[in-house]
Amino acid sequence: MSRTRLTNLLIDIVLFGFCILMITPLALLVSNAFKSPEELLSWPPRLIPANPTIDNLATVLADTPLLSWVLNSLMFAVASTIAILITSSIAGYILGKFRFRILSVIFAIILATAIIPFEVYMIPLYFQVQELGLLDTVPGLLIGYLVMSFGIFLIRQSVIHAIPDELLEAARIDGAGEIWIFFVIVLPLLRGALGALAVLAFFQAWTSFAWPLIVATSRDSYTIEVGLALFQTGYTVDLGKLSAAATVVLIPSVTIFVMLRKNFVEGIAATGLKE
Amino acid sequence: MLRHRKLLFALAALIPVLAIYVWVRIMPIGEILRLSLHKWDIISKNKPFIGLQNFRELLEDDLFQAALLNTAIIAFGVLLITIPLSLGLAALIYHRTRSRFAGFYETAIFIPHVVSLVPAAMAWKWIFDAKLGPLNAVLMKFGLEPQAWLFDPVLSIICIIVLCSWQALGYAVLIYIVGFKNLPHSLYEAARLDGASAFQAFRFLSIPLLKPITLYVSVVTLVSGFNVYAQAFVLASDSQGAPGRQVRVLVMDMLENSFRNYRIGYAASEAVVLLVIVLILTLIQFSLLREKGGKSQ
Amino acid sequence: MSKRSISRLGTTRILAASSALLLTAGSTHAEDLKVWSGFPEMAPFYERVAAELMQQHPDLNITVEAIPLREHEKRIALGVSSGSAGNVIIELANSTATRYLENELFNPAPAPVAEFVTGDGNFSDFFSQGASYQDTVFGVPLFRGQGALFYNTDMFESAGLDAPPATMADYTDYATKLTQRDANGNPEVSGWSLRLSGGGQGIAEKFWINMFQFGGNLVEPAGDGKWQSGVNTEAGLQAFNQYVENVHAQKNVSVEMPADAEAFERQQTAMFIRESWVIGDIAKKSPDLNYATAPLPRGSIALAVNLYVKAEGDAESAAWEFTQMANEPEQLNWMLENIGWLPNRANVDYSAVIEKAPAFAAFMNYPADYEFFTLPAISPVEEVLSRVAAALTDAFADESLAGNSEAQKAILADVDDDINKILKREGLLAD
Repeated sequence: MSRTRLTNLLIDIVLFGFCILMITPLALLVSNAFKSPEELLSWPPRLIPANPTIDNLATVLADTPLLSWVLNSLMFAVASTIAILITSSIAGYILGKFRFRILSVIFAIILATAIIPFEVYMIPLYFQVQELGLLDTVPGLLIGYLVMSFGIFLIRQSVIHAIPDELLEAARIDGAGEIWIFFVIVLPLLRGALGALAVLAFFQAWTSFAWPLIVATSRDSYTIEVGLALFQTGYTVDLGKLSAAATVVLIPSVTIFVMLRKNFVEGIAATGLKE
Repeated sequence: MLRHRKLLFALAALIPVLAIYVWVRIMPIGEILRLSLHKWDIISKNKPFIGLQNFRELLEDDLFQAALLNTAIIAFGVLLITIPLSLGLAALIYHRTRSRFAGFYETAIFIPHVVSLVPAAMAWKWIFDAKLGPLNAVLMKFGLEPQAWLFDPVLSIICIIVLCSWQALGYAVLIYIVGFKNLPHSLYEAARLDGASAFQAFRFLSIPLLKPITLYVSVVTLVSGFNVYAQAFVLASDSQGAPGRQVRVLVMDMLENSFRNYRIGYAASEAVVLLVIVLILTLIQFSLLREKGGKSQ
Repeated sequence: MSKRSISRLGTTRILAASSALLLTAGSTHAEDLKVWSGFPEMAPFYERVAAELMQQHPDLNITVEAIPLREHEKRIALGVSSGSAGNVIIELANSTATRYLENELFNPAPAPVAEFVTGDGNFSDFFSQGASYQDTVFGVPLFRGQGALFYNTDMFESAGLDAPPATMADYTDYATKLTQRDANGNPEVSGWSLRLSGGGQGIAEKFWINMFQFGGNLVEPAGDGKWQSGVNTEAGLQAFNQYVENVHAQKNVSVEMPADAEAFERQQTAMFIRESWVIGDIAKKSPDLNYATAPLPRGSIALAVNLYVKAEGDAESAAWEFTQMANEPEQLNWMLENIGWLPNRANVDYSAVIEKAPAFAAFMNYPADYEFFTLPAISPVEEVLSRVAAALTDAFADESLAGNSEAQKAILADVDDDINKILKREGLLAD
């Protein structure tokens, strides 16, 4: 065996070991979902349930509006993704390709606010949503997630990197309107970057917690994160049922990511994220 | 092309987006600054101006200071684990790009980042459980003392750092992989011809060239570290069969002051402190990494 | 006319009034009303009452939303002040309700309801006053949180104990005898489960209950609506020392052990002090457990939980009707038997349920000189309790405090300062 192949084998072993470590907690979660209450209390804990049961799953689906929580989360995440794609592509394109002093100032402000944690200004935003009468609704949730500073930044990088000025100028000389240029020339070239941004935006909303926890107040309007966090029966947490609920939620997250992974990595690479 | 017509188009297209941006970002941030100088309990109509009194009280507030310290330890802990580990992992995965396992590696490492926080934290809570958890079972198998992971003041913070790093790692690794993919091949060719080993190339080429990526990843990691909340919330949630020590973090203290103690103004002053800290740290990171990166090029 | 039929009359009157309103409104659209509860186990009770009410009003649509207490309080703070709550019946402890009453955010009770609360011997003064603010009735009393000792009779028998502990000194002695230890002397089954960790104010409330047995109060009234901390006192020290002694000196319980109701149900602890809902919980989760209850040495907390209304128009009258229907003897007996919270209404016969579940006797038939305390109805009460809880959690984990009364006093002095500082800031501290 050559030295390179030996090194590669070693690297594979290390990476494999590490990956297993990373997914172990989730594997345990799935395994707990199928354990009976007695088995959950047994010592030492078992990796694979001895007598797998689907009782937990059945009870959870019967007792909680789990599916409508998943649906709320999906609607919220999809709407947020669309909003962020629209706002980011417009702002990113303008800020990337139009050179005016005022635009540089605007971009600097956006960058500066990008690092301010959402939790800092969440409470005043709550009262703004209240003024609109949108508390406890999906549009209300959406208001916190309409724009993404990083998204604007990412698309601007991508515009600078992937769209040559000459192309736009040529189109203008041919008499193309600005709106036509944006839709017909710019957007298709940003496909990769927008795909990557879509993944980020979707999961940002999907995993958000503090904001939906205050905006959604009635049980039917919870997102899945909030529903799970408040998932308690009286004073006690039922680990089996909770794991069952969590397993149901894992399915869409993992599926969506596995489907989009390749586009995501290439999309981010296409933005030339290095400046 | 008329320059002012271009400007007109740029502004016309930008204004709706900017209006949203101002309304959902700039306005609430301004409101936080204003509220931090007032006393307000959410429900009453009067909202007296009290100057810097909230900030003065913060200086003497043990709970706030404990929260600040815990949060800082967690944020830097996550940063110190995530950056070197993700850089190393990304280098290894990039090295094995053509392996048929590359997809599996990327997926397995990134999955924790897209999994809902709450179920993930619940799983970890069970892993750390002193009486039922697999972590202590493994320790005992190797003849080690079981630990009260979620109760010891030091261990409970370590638990949160582990949990947050587990979630942050995947994102950092992917961004680094992208960084590696964008590095110029010619430089590496030249280095190889000069007789540099793979490790030397990593040490003296990749690391300096990846500085901008490191800057971005470390800003994102640190900022999200300072926002830690759901993890602490779930690890100490009030279930009585499996209790846990409450690790007080800034966002939790803020929310508690807002909604349990009805002190919005006071919570706003905490938010302002958080804001200032994050701003300063970001500036420091920029100056550290920008300068050195600039010199080495 | 008996007292019961008078209250019936009250209900009927409201019923008539509200149906008249419904008629005049003349529309067929459904009226939505929510019930917000902070006790998830109460949901079946409210749903039962709601079902009965909806049967009488086909146009009414009541949904019950019961979530954990902390989140419940948060949604009230946000929802009620912002008006986003809609028409809602709010279940809330009277100490927490004060802030909303000060700001006139709940509806005052209409005359027949006020009469029901104050008159007819329906409720003792303690409860009717707790439902009022500045002599106006706002809430309708429903149930209370009251503590008693739960003990595992099998474990008592194996330890040679044939009666529940009578004094606080007994508690420690008993706990030492009851603890089952491993080879190193560490507890495997705790002799007495104490609340030592977790989030929120529960730790402080439990501490207060113990402290009360020694004759003290965490916060004491000082006249003129002023208050002061009572933690840095002999009673405070005795209660605190007992925790430290049980955790660190006697090792009867440890911080990381499973605790409370869940541990008791799984036979992981021999005894603990808790409210009556545990009886219902045990019946549901481990019906074969052999246990009994006993009153505490001196007295108990009695935390009154009332129903408040924030609603308009037809929904408001329906909401008040709901509060009355929840207080029907049949409903209260069902609540006691199936949920286990203690109904506050006095002139109702609960003996059938007590006969079936003798564990309720310690809560309902207490000694004549049994004393009660409640959380002060002042707005910063939660802040006081959560701050005390945070300080106590750290202190309980500190091994060096065992047997060191100077260090213990220093901690109590700090907690004392914390409490008084909050009271002072809110203008509630006695001079």
